[in-house]
Amino acid sequence: MAESTNNSSAGRKGLSVRLGKAWEPFTKVPLLGWLLGILVAVALEQLVGTPLAHLVGLSKIPVLFGFVIVLKQPVLLPGTLLYILLIYLLPVGLVARLGAALTNKLAARLLQSPLWVSAIVHVGLLYASLHMWADISDYRDLVLRLTLIAIILTLSLNIVNGYMGEFSCSHPGFMALGAYAASAFTVIFFVEDKVFGSPLLPPALGPFLFPLALIFGGVISALGALLVAIPSFRTRGDYLAIISLAFLFIVKSLIENLEILGGPRGFMSQPDWANLPTVFIWCMGSIWIINNFVSSTLGKSLNAVRDEETAANAMTVNTRRTKMVGFQFAAFWAGVAGGLFAHVMRYVNPGSFGIQKLAEMLAMVYFGGLNSVVGSIVGAVGFNLLSEALRPLELFKWIIIPLLLILVMLYRPTGLIAFREFDIANLLKPKRKSEEEVEHAIATD
Amino acid sequence: MKSFKIFALLMIAVFLLGACGPAAPETIKIGINAPITGDIPKVGEGSKYAAEMWLADIEAAGGLEVGGKTYNVELVIEDNESKAESATKVNTKMITQDEVLVIVGPQSSKQAVPAGEVANNYSTPMVSPWSTNPNTTLDRPWVFRGCFLDPFQGPVVANFVSDEFGFTKAAVLYDVASDYPKGLAENFKAAWEELHGEGSVVAYESFTTKDTDFSAQLTSIANSGAEFFFAPQYYNEVALIVQQAHELGWDAPIVGSDSWGSAETVELCGEDCYGLFFSTHYAAAGATGATKEFIDRYEAEHGYVPDDVGALTWDTLHLVQQAIVDCGEITGDIAVDRQCVRDALASITDFNGITGDMTFTEEGDPIKCAVIVRISDAGEYEFYKSACP
Repeated sequence: MAESTNNSSAGRKGLSVRLGKAWEPFTKVPLLGWLLGILVAVALEQLVGTPLAHLVGLSKIPVLFGFVIVLKQPVLLPGTLLYILLIYLLPVGLVARLGAALTNKLAARLLQSPLWVSAIVHVGLLYASLHMWADISDYRDLVLRLTLIAIILTLSLNIVNGYMGEFSCSHPGFMALGAYAASAFTVIFFVEDKVFGSPLLPPALGPFLFPLALIFGGVISALGALLVAIPSFRTRGDYLAIISLAFLFIVKSLIENLEILGGPRGFMSQPDWANLPTVFIWCMGSIWIINNFVSSTLGKSLNAVRDEETAANAMTVNTRRTKMVGFQFAAFWAGVAGGLFAHVMRYVNPGSFGIQKLAEMLAMVYFGGLNSVVGSIVGAVGFNLLSEALRPLELFKWIIIPLLLILVMLYRPTGLIAFREFDIANLLKPKRKSEEEVEHAIATD
Repeated sequence: MKSFKIFALLMIAVFLLGACGPAAPETIKIGINAPITGDIPKVGEGSKYAAEMWLADIEAAGGLEVGGKTYNVELVIEDNESKAESATKVNTKMITQDEVLVIVGPQSSKQAVPAGEVANNYSTPMVSPWSTNPNTTLDRPWVFRGCFLDPFQGPVVANFVSDEFGFTKAAVLYDVASDYPKGLAENFKAAWEELHGEGSVVAYESFTTKDTDFSAQLTSIANSGAEFFFAPQYYNEVALIVQQAHELGWDAPIVGSDSWGSAETVELCGEDCYGLFFSTHYAAAGATGATKEFIDRYEAEHGYVPDDVGALTWDTLHLVQQAIVDCGEITGDIAVDRQCVRDALASITDFNGITGDMTFTEEGDPIKCAVIVRISDAGEYEFYKSACP
């Protein structure tokens, strides 16, 4: 009995060792290499995607990595797998593996200039791949935009619920404030509307002033956040959760009773300005700014307030100021996300910002991981893609996703990637066997 | 390097074979955008069942004959989770990925308004069977609906009560936070005041979604001297409102709107609702002809009497079917066919549906009659009279 257990565990170990060996060369691929691989893959898809899809028996390019096709018509599974292998896995793997030497050298060269140059090159590559990927179908484009917005939302909620350790339920309210404020801004200034009349400014200016509208939305929701931040001086935990929930209902009722904003009927005729580049730039900006914020002194004082408020106070952390800034900063980004959301949907109604939205946001934060920027990104992208991919399952989708959440909570109580710093320099650096080689490479270049 | 060679060979093969794609399939695809999960799953279920029954009919007939050629019909049923953003995603997917010819749904206005925008932008005809918000079809040539609008239903109720009971003082109790009741309450108030003069709506009381205690509002309605009250609410609230009104001693009529039309109303409300009137799209009890056939068949297959969503979806699918047949030819070029179906939909006149005869206007809203239903002493929805525009 004991022997057989030993054997099976040895066999498992053997497999994992073999897997590890196969994976080993890939550990030396820098981020730049992966991005290049993805770029090649999506370019390939653009060039030969449709004929290849026809060849393997699919009528179209599988739009979300084949999940939807396989769930609806399991017969097409082999064809879909072949397609995924040929278009995504092989090219990405090959380019990453074979180009590792070159990309490592390139990454090292890039790091010689300031960090932001390297960051911009990486982000540019990422955008190019996403753009080409979304170019195949408008459905991808829409899913991608809503996912990017979800990243901003998750990050901003993580500031309060993760970094500051308060359980806030008011985020859909902040989002609603931002959505309505930004919508009102663009509609009043740039759109011919039945309620607000003719535009105050020439509509041609609109796309350039759109960032102002989003910032306006963010500022309005940051002001609204005062209503939650001030009570948070005296209350914590469950009590603050209830206050913030009350705030959510106040905002919802307020909008429902504001006839000028359409009341429960909703508010429409927002211009179509939230295209992929706009949403992408805002999303990257939010990641960058929020990451800088949480690793700054102020960000660290958020953690101090979370861990022990009295001690933090004794150690000269201004807890009130910290909470104010934390709440308002988070609300600002939730408002920006709301503004983007309103301009992607081009219609908002108060019903969209209720408990259901709150549950979704909380799920993304806790799924991805508390107190972690990477975790938030993983949570938002994972949750959105999963929820899109499992749509054909209808009711069972709402059994599988909550089950996954329960499993995550059981085995990783703080989320998938929690309490991890997002070190950009480490992420972008070349991956060589040893540091000396890098130094050497830089020196000989 | 071996793997690279294999890969290169495969790529060449792909290029060579790329030219010979499969021939255009002779299938007509129709998208159903329904709230199968989320707040109102019963609505999604009704739409799905009605659509599947319709498809079964088409398949039994061997396909849909258009211009002398028979086509297979495929339904693409997608769940919009009763969320606005999901409804737009679903529409985008069905239009660009599945390349459906026409979309039926979404049902409620909060999804139909943004989804209609998507359909209109992609020049794809969309018919919402149940959405009553004027914005759904407003300035959107590609969007239609299968039901009458609130501005029509409000006056229907006002006229019915004036003629039937001769009342002059009305009260309204409605949900201020919900799109549909609020719109209808406003339309009713306007119509009533036009009939009986300013101030004839003596109480105009509101509450918020998910409230369960209406005693304050009902007391002030009772004290206002109103001769009846109008409650354009959904079935779960109707039961509470009617029962609480009776507990407070209210014995005058309570009148409702098409949202009462669900089978659940009587189930929850019980005897308190017997004898009350409401306006709706069709009456299940005492139905004749095609309507009865549909109801009996639905009940036999799914075990309950279909509510108005099922009936309207059924009618909408037949409308779409007629539009496709009227089109005369399916060219295979999806843009041309969509245009053709849209034009055919806009010019449908005197369509004979189970929820009444319909004629479409260029705005995409049908001209059709409403039905006044009385809840009988056996708890059935009896046809009482019909009101036409």
